[in-house]
Amino acid sequence: MTLTKEQYRALAAVVGGEHLSDDPVDLDAWAWRSGQAAMAQDFKPRFEAIVMPACTEEVQALVRLCNKFGLKFKASSTGWGSYCDPGGPGCIMLDLRRMDRILEINEENMYAVVEPYVIHAQLQAELMKRGLCCNVNGAGGNTSALPLAAHEGIGHMSASCGIGERNLLACEWVTPAGEVVRLGSLGSLGEWFCGDGPGPSLRGVMRGNVVPLGGLGVYTKAAVKVYHWPGPPSVELKGCSPHYAPVKLPPHFLLRYLSWPAEEGREAGIRRLGESEICFGVMGFNANMMAANVATNNEEELRLTEEYSKQIVGPGVCLVIAGNSARDFEYKRRVLELIVQETGATSLKAVEEGEVHDAFVWRFIRVTASIRETMRATGVFGGEVFGTDSYLVQSNFIQHSRKDKAELVARGLVYPDNTDPFITSLEQGQLTHSEVLLRWTPDPEVAQAAAEYVAKANRNAVEGHYGLPHHLWGDPQHDFFGPHTCNYTHWLRKIKKAYDPNGVAESTHHITAAE
Amino acid sequence: MALADYRSDMESCCRCSACKFIPLEKVTGYARANVCPSISRFEFHSYSGGGRMGFGLGLIHGRVEYTPKTAEVIYNCHLCGACDVSCKYAMEFDVLEPLYAMREECAKHGQSVPVWDGLVAGLAKGAPLVLEPETAEDDWFADLPVADAAERGAAACPSAVLYHAGCLARCTRAAGRTAAAAVTLLARAGLKVAVDKQAESCCGGRAYEMGYRAQALARARENVARFAELGIMELVTGCAHCYQYFKVLYPKLGVEHGLKVFHITEYLWTLVEQGRLSPTRPVKLRVTYHDPCHLGRLSEPWIPWQGVQRMRHMRVYDPPRVLRRGTYGVYEPPRRLLESIPGVRLVEMARSKEYAWCCGAGGGVRETNPEFAAFTAAERLAEAQDTGAEAVVTACPHCVRNLMEPGGLVSAGASAESRIRVYDLVELLGESMSGGA
Ligand SMILES: Cc1cc2nc3c(=O)[nH]c(=O)nc-3n(C[C@H](O)[C@H](O)[C@H](O)COP(=O)(O)OP(=O)(O)OC[C@H]3O[C@@H](n4cnc5c(N)ncnc54)[C@H](O)[C@@H]3O)c2cc1C
Repeated sequence: MTLTKEQYRALAAVVGGEHLSDDPVDLDAWAWRSGQAAMAQDFKPRFEAIVMPACTEEVQALVRLCNKFGLKFKASSTGWGSYCDPGGPGCIMLDLRRMDRILEINEENMYAVVEPYVIHAQLQAELMKRGLCCNVNGAGGNTSALPLAAHEGIGHMSASCGIGERNLLACEWVTPAGEVVRLGSLGSLGEWFCGDGPGPSLRGVMRGNVVPLGGLGVYTKAAVKVYHWPGPPSVELKGCSPHYAPVKLPPHFLLRYLSWPAEEGREAGIRRLGESEICFGVMGFNANMMAANVATNNEEELRLTEEYSKQIVGPGVCLVIAGNSARDFEYKRRVLELIVQETGATSLKAVEEGEVHDAFVWRFIRVTASIRETMRATGVFGGEVFGTDSYLVQSNFIQHSRKDKAELVARGLVYPDNTDPFITSLEQGQLTHSEVLLRWTPDPEVAQAAAEYVAKANRNAVEGHYGLPHHLWGDPQHDFFGPHTCNYTHWLRKIKKAYDPNGVAESTHHITAAE
Repeated sequence: MALADYRSDMESCCRCSACKFIPLEKVTGYARANVCPSISRFEFHSYSGGGRMGFGLGLIHGRVEYTPKTAEVIYNCHLCGACDVSCKYAMEFDVLEPLYAMREECAKHGQSVPVWDGLVAGLAKGAPLVLEPETAEDDWFADLPVADAAERGAAACPSAVLYHAGCLARCTRAAGRTAAAAVTLLARAGLKVAVDKQAESCCGGRAYEMGYRAQALARARENVARFAELGIMELVTGCAHCYQYFKVLYPKLGVEHGLKVFHITEYLWTLVEQGRLSPTRPVKLRVTYHDPCHLGRLSEPWIPWQGVQRMRHMRVYDPPRVLRRGTYGVYEPPRRLLESIPGVRLVEMARSKEYAWCCGAGGGVRETNPEFAAFTAAERLAEAQDTGAEAVVTACPHCVRNLMEPGGLVSAGASAESRIRVYDLVELLGESMSGGA
């Protein structure tokens, strides 16, 4: 299918001819499968057109035209996620790149209002100037700061700066039917401070467990909760890319990588770190991810992985402590020492001191090495993304992956990074989140094996009563879990039908209305 | 290498958008976080490094054809290399090299740019690649005590140093004056440089960038033969483009010359350090420095590599492949020189060194799309003005020209966009030297 002249003209009348294209060169720019969850095929289906609206009114007009013409649409912020791709023909892309303003930073009420194409690196830097900080999506500073773009909204600072479902405040939503809905305090007071009222609260409906990945309309503006930043307004860096390091690390920051001989050790460690509330950031890195952070190329990453693996005694976490004062810092440092002693943790000496330490702290806080950790090795990453739950549930859930991943490695299908499953601590340890990273070179055999691997993880989730993973992309996966989970799919489909009567919000990665 | 040879590099693009921004660690706020003029101007993903990798694969697979629209996207890029640097902060593949290859393919498929076809037609005879050259009343070296390399061969310059002025110096008065200032400074330091007065030819690099590889290669070979004939050992140039082409492009094309290639700022800084030049006259000016792309991130030496991927999944190579990441460009000498001038106060722009925003002249854009060249320059001038500087100083005649007359659309002097003055560093140093070495 290609757009008819009438359709093209109507879309152009909304955004102007300059901001619409159906030329193959513009379409194929997006059609390469990219590195996330890559399967065997080289290209994804093409969009019928790329449309670049500049404001909510234009988004609304475009969505209405989609309803009129029976065209599907999919919105994207930076367009990184593979869930930005259409599942088949008949879909136009709403590339929100032109909606890129920070509309407000409210220091008193601690929130920021952003449009979709503000990236975390920009928002975080502006916040730091004001003594504030936000949770940066663990995917990196390059992702949208809109709290409805990140899949889960989990990141390095989630220990102290919350997670997506919590940080989403008031928002503006263009529903698939083309209505503009203003939610939370925005709906009644025209203010952004609260997601649940006064005014209509539809957070559960329009976001839910994870964001609906384009399947439920377009979020044009949203407020995100921000937190206290214990550091200076900015930090001067020395060196040239990729070798940056702070000229001088601000006082009262410290990074450690702790590992334990067994999973029970990490559990006790994460629980104690959480209870004591000493961490500014926590990430459940493994030896390879630590090495990827420090290394500036793959050769170095290989070497450091080997070096770090020798010192890392088992499952571990990377953490940053930030003191609000010398006393606060000293207190936190001493508590950390105690936890290390009492849980029998081993600290990775290689990152404890000097420039490696200082550079790591800053890279961690700015979340700039995620691309290195995930994509650099092979150009492709995928795997399993589990949910948010207690440490024990997550850890039991993920244990199967050690064996299953080893099997894939033994068959030569994925990159042997020789590392432990990843578990990280959220909201000072009240919740945790886990993932297993697989990296590979796409080919049909690997694609098949990766699909089987995820299917096995899903069966494991059901049999072990571990709850829903976050990697539920599309009908087949939802339909697998629905019957085991109070038929939530029934309700999800009701929502989809109610808000998207014509089924125009492209739902390959969310859920369709078809029972 | 042909575009298809970069398939593996292009397939490594994960669409993370790093290529659109300055290296993320360096983002210090909302403003000036963009690094790619092309996507900043044209907005569509296809105009970014990542988007170009995407449709580049489409070209290889025959899904996208070489149409005028394809060419329009391919040529509306400054080839400034900023995308390449930002990508390689994290990733391990070449972004910029496939972009050169795409232009070559465009030319092969009959989608070259007419204005450039015309310019390149004269290249075989060494004609300058300058559109609408000003008629020079005099050669830039007239009245200067500078030897003609041709007349007496190497004997004329015992140091065997050739000053290569570049096309713009031969065709525009402003760049000619800067070239004259450069050799005057060298002479003051007691260096006897020579100029190939009658036979200096275009280096050919800009033709390569426009996709005319064969013509650029032929020019490179002739130039190298000429240098050998003249018996020179060192080449100094004030043009950042020429510098990069002699230093990086010629070896990349397989044209070895064995010369030591210097940019004038490297040379002058050494002379200042050695005490052979002492800027003494105060030049009271708050300035900011614009890094020319070809002198900065693009000037790392060419590192030839041929080999194979060592591990099935991980991108490690045998022999190890060292990627050029812009880390070791010429960033310090111009800054040290500026700081050596009494009265000059240097303030940095938000985007500098390896992640500097392009001036807008690069990639042949000034000739193919002046409006885009003006857009890019206007952004740079605004950024310079943000620093509170009275002048923006740079070290390349192409940058000077495009910042003074963005896209050639504004008449000489301070640009319409900005009241900030624009200087070549050599001019400032020259001012500070009046009255003796
Ligand atoms: C390497 C990697 C690591 C990751 N790690 C994490 C992690 O640690 N934590 C985490 O939470 N997530 C993670 N993710 C997923 C991540 O959340 C998204 O890729 C990214 O944050 C989304 O931001 P974006 O700007 O890239 O959005 P996009 O990629 O543009 O969009 C993501 C999805 O949201 C939809 N969408 C985007 N904007 C809008 C809008 N305005 N209105 C409606 N729908 C919209 C899109 O259709 C798409 O389905 C990771 C992804 C990758 C590729």
